[in-house]
Amino acid sequence: MKALILVGGFGTRLRPLTLSFPKPLVDFANKPMILHQIEALKAVGVDEVVLAINYQPEVMLNFLKDFEAKLEIKITCSQETEPMGTAGPLALARDKLIDGSGEPFFVLNSDVISEYPLREMIEFHKAHGGEASIMVTKVDEPSKYGVVVMEETTGKVEKFVEKPKLYVGNKINAGIYLLNPSVLDKIELRPTSIEKETFPKIAAAQGLYAMVLPGFWMDIGQPKDYITGLRLYLDSLRKKSPAKLTTGAHIVGNVLVDETAKIGEGCLIGPDVAIGPGCVVESGVRLSRCTVMRGARIKKHACVSSSIIGWHSTVGQWARIENMTILGEDVHVGDEIYTNGGVVLPHKEIKSNILKPEIVM
Amino acid sequence: MGSSMDEKVVAVIMVGGPTKGTRFRPLSLNIPKPLFPIAGQPMVHHPISACKRIPNLAQIYLVGFYEEREFALYVSAISNELKVPVRYLREDKPHGSAGGLYHFRNLIMEDDPSHIFLLNCDVCCSFPLPEMLEAHRKYGGIGTLLVIKVSPESASQFGELVADPVTNELLHYTEKPETFVSDRINCGVYVFTPDIFTAIREVSSQTKDTATLRRVSSVEALQPATRNSTDFVRLDQDILSPLAGKKQLYTYETKDFWEQIKSPGMSLRCSELYLSQFRLTSPQVLASGDGTKSAIVIGDVFIHPSAKVHPTAKIGPNVSISANARVGPGVRLISCIILDDVEIMENAVVTNAIVGWKSSIGRWSRVQACSSLKSLTFKCFCLVSLNNHEPGSILCRSQAEGVYNSKLGVTILGDSVAVEDEVVVISSIVLPNKTLNVSVQDEIIL
Repeated sequence: MKALILVGGFGTRLRPLTLSFPKPLVDFANKPMILHQIEALKAVGVDEVVLAINYQPEVMLNFLKDFEAKLEIKITCSQETEPMGTAGPLALARDKLIDGSGEPFFVLNSDVISEYPLREMIEFHKAHGGEASIMVTKVDEPSKYGVVVMEETTGKVEKFVEKPKLYVGNKINAGIYLLNPSVLDKIELRPTSIEKETFPKIAAAQGLYAMVLPGFWMDIGQPKDYITGLRLYLDSLRKKSPAKLTTGAHIVGNVLVDETAKIGEGCLIGPDVAIGPGCVVESGVRLSRCTVMRGARIKKHACVSSSIIGWHSTVGQWARIENMTILGEDVHVGDEIYTNGGVVLPHKEIKSNILKPEIVM
Repeated sequence: MGSSMDEKVVAVIMVGGPTKGTRFRPLSLNIPKPLFPIAGQPMVHHPISACKRIPNLAQIYLVGFYEEREFALYVSAISNELKVPVRYLREDKPHGSAGGLYHFRNLIMEDDPSHIFLLNCDVCCSFPLPEMLEAHRKYGGIGTLLVIKVSPESASQFGELVADPVTNELLHYTEKPETFVSDRINCGVYVFTPDIFTAIREVSSQTKDTATLRRVSSVEALQPATRNSTDFVRLDQDILSPLAGKKQLYTYETKDFWEQIKSPGMSLRCSELYLSQFRLTSPQVLASGDGTKSAIVIGDVFIHPSAKVHPTAKIGPNVSISANARVGPGVRLISCIILDDVEIMENAVVTNAIVGWKSSIGRWSRVQACSSLKSLTFKCFCLVSLNNHEPGSILCRSQAEGVYNSKLGVTILGDSVAVEDEVVVISSIVLPNKTLNVSVQDEIIL
């Protein structure tokens, strides 16, 4: 089976992290974001993944060679020379997605994190026999998104309504599709929106069905949702493979610690913390609701909450980092410093307090 | 005195390196700061072409710790254009301004120069290098510094010095003092005799013997070990201060303009200074027009020959338009730098801003700095009058620098930013690859 992952553009909402790495390679729960999706695809028998990108292919390709070898799955790139929207990239990658077997192919949005119930989706797709299946997820505020109006029993999609002013439903497009090769005949090679052009066509022909996504769903394209997404992800990990989580007297709630990370004495870690490879957490440190990326060091007695500490950064002794502080790569926060929502670009030193949210260039 | 005709001169321009220039973001996210265009030419071009006026110039070295490939193209182009050998030398690690000079002493001395100029790339001034050399010869010391008088309030940001009013000898030097020492400051332009290498060597051997007892904070401890090693020698604190008052160092005072290009906002200010200098030295470089065959041009404006400007546009004062930019009908540009491949559509207004490479400005949109359309005007502390502007009038060093340096003074659009039709952008900084479809004010858009 084949799959296409829509990687798209510059990842500007995830800056400053994306100033150091392209978005699919930004770590989430100690793994590059895109690896979560590739692993899920591999698990249901996908043998080739095509990444639709339009930015920094060279950086991506190096990493991909690594994943290809480790996972034994073929990974190729399809590069857009101009932004092709959400459907155009499928047409661009046509030759890679059709292998003559007639099997449907997956399309995933790279910003999305979920439990990826792909096997169930394959069953659902076979059962209804329609041309296309999409995952939808229930949200509290549907008008922020595109709402999918569907028949509750069969899942047959009636229409899409973009950011509706009045309530029409509470299920939105979760960004996971399973499509028959015939769908590619309906997509022209030009910038196209899959929600505005392709899917409505298929829905009108009664060929589009929606499955409600079991489990959590999060678009982690921006820091606030990244942190919420980590909580949901770790929650789901506790239910499915609790052995992967760390336990101990100094651990509270769901915590994921890479085996090469070191944690000192007298710390209190958790809930909802991910500590990446090679990190050093010195003694007396309090971490909650945060991500510490590869190679970062948190010095003694520091306290970090609701924040993201970028690769190879340092948090000084007795420093207090909180309220959506995002440290880019190689940022060093001095001893005893307080940052409240500072967003710091890479290669900076923070020697004075950041009392209210601000961007440090 | 021997004939000075056979004596060769070598110039060294310190260009710095990537981790040092975070103040120049977001523009430095795409290009090394020394190559950023000021008045239509890369920043480093200005000191290089000033060096060309030195008699018997044998070689120009650019010293920094950027990757070689970032300068390769520029260096070969400029060597051809100016017909003087320019070479980029990469430091493997920062050595400090004097340490860097010392590190490459063998190369520098290859041409057996009698004098060596040392310039900082981010200095914007008239570079009176031949005059400095002549003065230095008369003084007979091992080095001469270019100095300038500034307002007492702003002096503490620089190296303050005291010079003998008769002999011009450097009597005292102190870097960024907390209390007032003097209103004369170090411009960052020097000429030395080869004895300077001996002086640097003596200093670094002394550092080996001196123990330093001070609390090293966690941030300092993260500095590369080289900071504390013997081959890191700073020119100001380690050479100038100790040698002051020993009849070795002298000063040459300039009465022209001087600025440091530390932030993108300052680059706009320095662009203005260089454009006004072109008016005096090479007016053919500047644009002109009266709206008939070409756009109306007011004041000092540079328009690259490949740029297209519609005749109904009004450009200036202080505008620099780079290669392949397109300025549409009815556009008004004031005090701005428009970089390569920018497209500005009909009736847009851009003032006090820098528009990054390949950006586009929509129809009737407005990109500006502060709330008023007029150029930033501040009480002037400077004692130099520029272009007949009396002190106390427009745009002078310290106050202007404060605003130009404040993050939200000058609007900066990074590369490939799209400002949609009718959108207003005020006092904001926009990082590359963003599209603005709503108006913004006083924001940094990541």
